[in-house]
Amino acid sequence: MSELFDQFIVEAQELLETAGGALLALERDPADRASVDELFRAFHTLKGSSALFDMAPFTRLVHAGEDTLSLLRDGRRGMTPDLADRLFRALDQCARWVAALEEAGTLPADAGEAAEALARGLSGGPADGAAAGGGEVEAFPWVAGLTDEERRAAGEGTLTAIDYTPDPDCFFTGDDPLALFRRVPDLRLLRIEPAHPLPPLAQMDPYRCVLRFRALSGAAVEAVTPAFRSVPDQVRTGSVTLSPAFTPPAAAAQGSLAATMLEEQTRILDLPGSAAERESRRAAVARAVAAILTALGRPTQRAAVAAACGDVGSLRRFLADGPGETPAVSEPRPSAPSAAPRRALRVEPERMDALMALVGELSVVKGQLGPLVRRAGDGEMARDLKAFAARVDSLVGDLRHAALRLRLLPLARVFDPLPRLVRDTARRLDKTVELVLEGAETEADKDILDVLGEPLLHLVRNALDHGIEMPERRAAAGKPPAGTLRVRAFQDKGGVVVEVSDDGAGIDPAAMRRAAVAKGLLDPDAAAALSDADAVRLVFAPGFSTAGSVSELSGRGVGMDAVRAAAERAGGRVEIDSTPGNGTRVCLLLPLTLSITRVVVVEAAGSLYGIPVALVGGVQRVKRGEIRAVKRAESVVLRDRVVPLVRLRRLLGQPEDERARADDCVVLAELGDGPVAVAVDDVGERADVVLRPMTGVLRGLRGYAGTAVLGDGRLILVLDLRELL
Amino acid sequence: MPIRYDADLACFEAACTVEDTLPLAEWLEATAAPRVDLSACTELHTALLQLLLAARPAVTAGPEDAFLARVISLSPLGRGAG
Repeated sequence: MSELFDQFIVEAQELLETAGGALLALERDPADRASVDELFRAFHTLKGSSALFDMAPFTRLVHAGEDTLSLLRDGRRGMTPDLADRLFRALDQCARWVAALEEAGTLPADAGEAAEALARGLSGGPADGAAAGGGEVEAFPWVAGLTDEERRAAGEGTLTAIDYTPDPDCFFTGDDPLALFRRVPDLRLLRIEPAHPLPPLAQMDPYRCVLRFRALSGAAVEAVTPAFRSVPDQVRTGSVTLSPAFTPPAAAAQGSLAATMLEEQTRILDLPGSAAERESRRAAVARAVAAILTALGRPTQRAAVAAACGDVGSLRRFLADGPGETPAVSEPRPSAPSAAPRRALRVEPERMDALMALVGELSVVKGQLGPLVRRAGDGEMARDLKAFAARVDSLVGDLRHAALRLRLLPLARVFDPLPRLVRDTARRLDKTVELVLEGAETEADKDILDVLGEPLLHLVRNALDHGIEMPERRAAAGKPPAGTLRVRAFQDKGGVVVEVSDDGAGIDPAAMRRAAVAKGLLDPDAAAALSDADAVRLVFAPGFSTAGSVSELSGRGVGMDAVRAAAERAGGRVEIDSTPGNGTRVCLLLPLTLSITRVVVVEAAGSLYGIPVALVGGVQRVKRGEIRAVKRAESVVLRDRVVPLVRLRRLLGQPEDERARADDCVVLAELGDGPVAVAVDDVGERADVVLRPMTGVLRGLRGYAGTAVLGDGRLILVLDLRELL
Repeated sequence: MPIRYDADLACFEAACTVEDTLPLAEWLEATAAPRVDLSACTELHTALLQLLLAARPAVTAGPEDAFLARVISLSPLGRGAG
């Protein structure tokens, strides 16, 4: 496809996103003029750019959207949740089309009908309730194509559509298709048309039925079907929703006289001539434009019009952007800071990976410079070498930082779908939920964002579904009827934290304990011994939260273990805390990037290993006497929690440490279903390493996430503690 | 006989059934400017309707039966009759 087409795809995606956001804002505050304008601009631009290509249905639909918005803007139509639904549906359809265009280069075959149906839905007035038939209209495309006269005859509301194509030989079996319609209750419309073009009378077989019947009834589907009991295979019925017949606005619609006149003014402005001639034309054009706009019911400040008439481009923009509200075109509009979005540079991911790998290697090689400099001794040359090494050091650091930043994207990307998700879900559940997004500008590696998207949606859906209570229950509990769902992102010691918190019912630890026992995951004593925090953490245990009954008990939904698994796959972890009655907070802690992992280097039996920092809750020395042993199962009390203790040597099948020591070095690992203390011989530095997955014969080795080279060139094995335990 | 043929005018009376199909087809074909009077027609078989739709005779009087009146008035036949 041409570059122009590619550009259209990218631009359309951006515009649709912008439009979605503006629509949400508009639904929340129907008086929000900036959002109406933004939405209008998006539809308007889409209309213009799509018209460059062969995609009439797309243009048709966005044009209908633009018309609807211009009515909204002029206050001739009000915003309702129902209209928002229709506009959302139109945006969704456009997004699907853009995806199809990107993939196949053309719109799907049914695009015309779909556009027609959606456009009709948009131009119709606010229909009462029962918008459920929207999807059904698509099954009866002719319903969308009714003439105005037919629409008036059919009326509005939920109707039953009948599509009856009689068997051509039906006359021989005694059928009289027309007679069947006498038995249809509340028949609003009957359209009889030839199924194929009728042949000349002389060639017609009078005993073959060539007609097709299409009808609308005001009765319910169940009341209509008995009439067609004898021909069930030839008839199709379904309910459709019709909105009242609607007359499009005459003023300033595309192709109207006013639009043509305005277009003519821009042409006049562009005519060649001397400076004086152009100046006088400019004044005339400004007067004409102001007069036309006033005639359209959009009086505009003369100064603003005059400023816009400086050249053709700005006049066009001025007219397109909605002249009524533009105070002064020469000033940038504060409400739309990204009027001309910077075009993103697209780079193949493989090239990025290659660059990252090189940067990683460079860091490792640079690390070897240090020992070399030390070997050089104290001479003048060594001093220079040291200064040089320091410079290389900082440059490599900067380079790595820059390379990492290339892959960083704002979290806005994963936040963007949330307002829509919350709106739709809350509307479905009849709950009122205020979504608060914070820190959308926080940046993280693209890979991390890809990992983050799914679990985040899951957490949000869960919070809406099970966390936030119905308004009545909230009121009874003395809370505001509208729940608050807060999604907050921020950076924290080398990682990204995304926090999803609600002010809902919270999780009852006692119910969690009972459920764990009932599920056979824990025996009653073990369950009773759990702290409240650990009991709540049970939602992450595999096989626990997948039970439907548990979700009711705990007030938490299914699949929390999937969230945990996703976070851990990305080298992160998930935390939860909840206060019954006050709400729940779930934290996803993820590393900044997948390509560089920060590890704690530990030693066991003379070898070095790495443990991802994301899993490490702390490192400390524990006195031998504080380790309690029941047979070979050891445990230790750390931070007021009883934590099982494992010895890395034992895990790796190495001989026991025979040295007599007063205390053990312990790394506290926070695994999803609880902390584990890992006893190691020694704990070394923290290091950023490029993790290389195990390849070849080593691939089958369990318990290792991969290998990595330390700054000084030593090789370490990075442990996968979950697999190892 | 529910359909009475009178030179170039056919009068439909009472229930006009599938039996009338062939005679009507032949008459429509043979008549240069056929006209039909549907005023007394109470039932019109689909086969007859499709013949009328194909031949488009002038309708001198529409059916009095409400259901048929609607069918005819919404069809090209109705529009032809004005």
